[in-house]
Amino acid sequence: MKITVNRFILLSAAALSFSIYVQAADNSALARDLTATLSLLGLPCGQVVNVVTQGNRDHLVTCSDKNRYRVYVNAQGRVTAEKR
Amino acid sequence: MRFAAKLALLMTALAAGCAAPGKPAAAPPDTTPGGQRQPASATVIAPDNLPSAPIKTIEPPPPEQEKAPEIPAVNPPAAAQPPAKTTDKPAAKPVAAPVSPPKSKAPETKTSTKPQPAQEPAAPPPLALTVLEQRLKDTSAIGVFTKLALKNQIDDLLTQFRARHEGSSKTPLSQLRKAYDNLLAKVHDLLKSGDPPLAAAIMNSREAIWLVLTDPARFAKL
Repeated sequence: MKITVNRFILLSAAALSFSIYVQAADNSALARDLTATLSLLGLPCGQVVNVVTQGNRDHLVTCSDKNRYRVYVNAQGRVTAEKR
Repeated sequence: MRFAAKLALLMTALAAGCAAPGKPAAAPPDTTPGGQRQPASATVIAPDNLPSAPIKTIEPPPPEQEKAPEIPAVNPPAAAQPPAKTTDKPAAKPVAAPVSPPKSKAPETKTSTKPQPAQEPAAPPPLALTVLEQRLKDTSAIGVFTKLALKNQIDDLLTQFRARHEGSSKTPLSQLRKAYDNLLAKVHDLLKSGDPPLAAAIMNSREAIWLVLTDPARFAKL
């Protein structure tokens, strides 16, 4: 019984670690994507250091130079960045 | 007795271990000069060290090994006996070393005689616009937001060209060219680290794409 419980705990911990790892990777990819987007739009940013997702294709980003932008896709399908 | 045997075995293993991988300095001397010294203990140790100067500190014994180095120059390692096999490997390596320099020389002569054909295949041909568009969509080097922003800017540029061709805008071609170059530079920057082949292909297609954009007939077919 103890062994079973221990195995369950181990498996749960492994699954949790994996999900955290995957989520971190996703966030990192999104941050890189938004960094490239802001660079393409010609906005000063440096690196995106924090992303808060507000909705579908709508993010509030914080840059390494302390600038903050809302980056989203507007109704016309254009990627737009608004300084906050 | 057992202990003594184990100790002897351990010492042998240690000696072999020291000899094998890490002896760049000591092993080289034996083998280099004629590639003849390779065999014996040095054989296992130093294929890499071959080129250095000779030192007869470790000279192993067997005449067979000496034969091996001489033979290997002509024949690849076709060892008949198990002990000889171990020596053959090193012998073969020395042979390979002398052979390699001639190979390098050969390519040089070839390149000198046929430089242009080699360069032509290296440069990827200009991409068709449709192919370029598809490859940009498919690449994983840039994310969704970046692709969408890029598409927006490409569409903006195409709108400017369309207006010019239709006569509704008189934007100077030099200004369009500047915008076009800037956009391509941005694309190249985005792709150069994540998808270098596509970045290179785009830069190689720069003039071909420009010709399409500036030709009203070809532009209309886009």
